Amino acid sequence: MNVIVASYVFYLAISVALTVWVARTLHKNGRIFLVDVFHGNEPLADSVNHLLVVGFYLINLGYVSLALKLGYDVKNAQEGIEALSWKVGMVLVVLGCMHFFNLFIFSRMRRRASLVDAPPPVAPDAYTSVRGHSHA
Amino acid sequence: MRELTVLYDPQCGLCRRAQAWLISKPKYVELAFVPASSDEARSRYPQLNHDLTLNDLTVISDQGAVYSGPKAWLMCLWALREYREWSLRLSTPELLPTAKRVISMISQNRYQLEGLGSVVLRGAK
Repeated sequence: MNVIVASYVFYLAISVALTVWVARTLHKNGRIFLVDVFHGNEPLADSVNHLLVVGFYLINLGYVSLALKLGYDVKNAQEGIEALSWKVGMVLVVLGCMHFFNLFIFSRMRRRASLVDAPPPVAPDAYTSVRGHSHA
Repeated sequence: MRELTVLYDPQCGLCRRAQAWLISKPKYVELAFVPASSDEARSRYPQLNHDLTLNDLTVISDQGAVYSGPKAWLMCLWALREYREWSLRLSTPELLPTAKRVISMISQNRYQLEGLGSVVLRGAK
């Protein structure tokens, strides 16, 4: 096994492990947000949570797979580690962006849901009696 | 609260355009439009001072809460799905005085603003 193949093997192992770790973190900690968003409807929250995590896996593993090829020759262990570090660094940055994007989605869903029950923004000036409801 | 009744000035073109815009938007709370000081308005709200509703836009909830002037505008925004967030933002202590000033200014000059308003609202659609 030459240096480049060894670096590919390490790259895949590290990247996949990181993706799994981040996805599990999201899955575990995102649930409570979603339960709140869906007003305690746990089956729906679990379903959306699962679908979000599937999308997260697809995008990240897709990126890991596309970014595998090095494109230049690696002569020794030092160059192998440098190449590996660059690749893993890119995966980390992509994971970080995806993670913040997910948080953004969670918080936006939560804000939207809270608007439905938001009370009127201002207090009334007065009260009057209402006669009937003939108007359609 | 399920419905808000909007007592609007039917003489003013800007108000009619605003009404058309409000009707076209998705809502959390339904809006019913009744011309201010009309027979229908008087029979529905027998205790209300209807002369005041000709000067200021008035919004009345189905429980009889009366909002007038800038507050009525904010309540109309609050009824809309896409603008509820804005109504809450505009009624924070920091922004409410400015919002009230701007809305009163528009409202007092509504007949003069008709031409301009038609351009703006057509753009918003």
